[in-house]
Amino acid sequence: MEAAGNQNAQGHDGTAAGAAGPAVAVRVRGLWKRFGEQVAVSGIDLDLPAGRFIGLVGPNGAGKTTTLSMITGLLRPDDGQVEIAGHDVWRDPVAVKARIGVLPEGLRLFERLSGRELLTYLGRLRGLPVDEVERRTGQLLDVLDLSAAQHKLVVDYSTGMRKKIGLAAALLHNPEVLFLDEPFEGVDPVSAQTIRGVLERYTASGATVVFSSHVMELVESLCDWVAVLAAGRIKAHGPLAEVRGDAESLQSAFLELVGARGDAGPDLSWLGGNR
Amino acid sequence: MSDGRAACGPHERDAVSVTGASVGVVAGAFLRLKLALVRNGVRQTAGRSAAFVGAVVVTLLFGGLGLLGMVALRGHEHGPEAAVVLVALLALGWAFMPLFVGGADETLDPARLAMLPLRPNAMLTGQLVASVVGLGPLFTLLLVTGAAVTVADGAAGVVAAVVAVPLALLTCTTLARALATANAGLLSSRRGRDLAVLSGVLIAVGVQALNLGVSKLSGENGAGPLEALADVLRWVPPAAAVEGVRAVGDGSYGRAAAALGGSLLVWLLLLGWWRRTLTKLLTAPDSSTLGAPETAKSRAARSGSGPSRWLPAGRAGAAAQRTLRYGWRDPKTKMGWASALGVGLLMPVVTAAQGGTSPYNAFWASALLGLLMYNQFGQDYSGFWLVSQTIATSRDAYLELYGRALAVALVAVPFTSAVVALSAGLADDWASAPDAMGLALALLGALIGLGAVTSARFPYSIPQDSPMKNVAPGQGALAWFSILGGMLAGPVLCAPVIALVVTLHMSDATGWLWTTLPLGAGYGVLMAWAGLRLAAPVTVRRLPEILTAVSRA
Repeated sequence: MEAAGNQNAQGHDGTAAGAAGPAVAVRVRGLWKRFGEQVAVSGIDLDLPAGRFIGLVGPNGAGKTTTLSMITGLLRPDDGQVEIAGHDVWRDPVAVKARIGVLPEGLRLFERLSGRELLTYLGRLRGLPVDEVERRTGQLLDVLDLSAAQHKLVVDYSTGMRKKIGLAAALLHNPEVLFLDEPFEGVDPVSAQTIRGVLERYTASGATVVFSSHVMELVESLCDWVAVLAAGRIKAHGPLAEVRGDAESLQSAFLELVGARGDAGPDLSWLGGNR
Repeated sequence: MSDGRAACGPHERDAVSVTGASVGVVAGAFLRLKLALVRNGVRQTAGRSAAFVGAVVVTLLFGGLGLLGMVALRGHEHGPEAAVVLVALLALGWAFMPLFVGGADETLDPARLAMLPLRPNAMLTGQLVASVVGLGPLFTLLLVTGAAVTVADGAAGVVAAVVAVPLALLTCTTLARALATANAGLLSSRRGRDLAVLSGVLIAVGVQALNLGVSKLSGENGAGPLEALADVLRWVPPAAAVEGVRAVGDGSYGRAAAALGGSLLVWLLLLGWWRRTLTKLLTAPDSSTLGAPETAKSRAARSGSGPSRWLPAGRAGAAAQRTLRYGWRDPKTKMGWASALGVGLLMPVVTAAQGGTSPYNAFWASALLGLLMYNQFGQDYSGFWLVSQTIATSRDAYLELYGRALAVALVAVPFTSAVVALSAGLADDWASAPDAMGLALALLGALIGLGAVTSARFPYSIPQDSPMKNVAPGQGALAWFSILGGMLAGPVLCAPVIALVVTLHMSDATGWLWTTLPLGAGYGVLMAWAGLRLAAPVTVRRLPEILTAVSRA
């Protein structure tokens, strides 16, 4: 595919040329991770521009969560470098951890705290002044529509409420770059709209959001920059329009990029046949 | 291609999909599943493989030594009593150990199997087969065989033993699984979990009461307790199976039939009970509790005024407050705190009731509470990522660990003082109170320090989503070794204070014994501080590794 060919050919130069405009929020070089025999991430190079709403898309098992975990310092890579706003994630954790907010997928929160207690606790761990923590907590709970449930234990929250309190926790210290792993997975439309509103407000202020998803419609409607990940490699990256190219939607561009088959393989003629 | 299926007709199809696989096939599948789980748990990292090999060696060593010891008791006057008591103790261990420490496995968790079209009989057989595979069953088999060898006499005795040994082993594993299944039902609701915590304490009280009763019963003479205990236990299955083997050798066949038959009957009853609870668990809806409505009182308690004002500001205070909240709100953590407090209080009282009293028994309280500092990050489960995201320097890690240690100490120090006062009062020995307190504080400090270091070095996961598991599969050996190692290393670290007390006693300088209090307390603080200082840089360096270890499900 033409557009994808362009993306890959550009490599470092393409993003460097783009750097004439926006700065680089996240710079990844030669990132590798193996789990035993299985290679989860095989040599990712990627520059994510600052101030954008960035989608990291790929099929299940493409390495999205592994990549995000390594970028945010939750998982140690086998090889490679990650810099966030110019600071090395592994050599300068002080600068990095203050600048990033994370909402991982599949990891717990402290669920025996109430929503408000969780935010207060994290604010104190981050060393924010008590009054400031109180103020931000109240506003975040309000904006995310959690005020009524603020004294309920997180263990009793629904999936949407959990994602929202997780988002509040990730935003509490006003990070420059926000990483969200499948933030809309299992979330009802109302909560999704709330989360969306908060994220749009946040990027409008110049901050960067990086989120992973396998729902292309969502990425297409939210993001202005995407990176396509499949089998642990970057297949394409760049502004949404460029990655989409001539394809009718991001979905079809994506299917072509990851080499998905159009047909369903063996015909399964027994399925739905005589029982 | 549909011809063959069409010829089968609707009844044939029903027979395949509804009755499910045959008992034999299911048992084979469970067996392979269990072996695969053991294999997968072990081969993940070199350290874990080593821990597993270590556990195998320890099992074979102690199991083998136990077997040899029992064989050596053959013909000894008290051999049969020892055999009976040993098997009863094994059964007791099987009843309670899996609920408190690892040992449980995924083939045991019925929730994972709820959607499979398995008949209760196939499920039961499969779980039973899986339950006798593993190190625990091997250890039990070795000891039960030893017990049977001790009492078996003549050809008939050997035949009886061949029946009795598997019966005893199966009774043990069935008991463990039946109790776990019953508890799974109980533990799936929040209210039930609170009850389970209470039952943990009740069990501890019950065991102590039994201990107390037996020793009262037995009086002073040497093997008295053993005989008294054996007289009761020889009729309690599965220990009764051993009694049956002995009776066959004696030629008292009626007694043997009663003992063996009784054991068999109890096993069958256990199976029946297990089957009923399992069926109920897998077919009845889950009773998850919704959040209780917010009361004004609970809101006031959480508003941050209260006693939490006295905690230090910043990170350490936040960590301490969360640790204390979890001690109250999280069922697994609460269980840990409740047992430490309960047993710590009971041990001095029980020993006092037995006459062997001294304020030194208060060390139980400080030791058990000190052990709560172990595997701190594992207690967070995968929630540790929140902590890890906020730790950037050694200082952060130190404050985090300090906050957690502070929470333990805030409870442990006053509680230990109270227990020392109580045991001094019971023994009417106020002179020993200062040095007992000094020793207890030194031990507490040493265990807090050690706990911090092992938390950073050897973290293991305490899965929160399953009430059946306290250790993730494959990490059990690691958990056991770090706790056992800690329990041994605590007293070793306290050697200087112990030596001081002993020296003062030996040299008749008892007038100086009070110095143990400040010295012991100071030593404890020093040990705790040193442990935290050592653990902090390790924690920062190993954050991703700790997170990976503690988030295993």
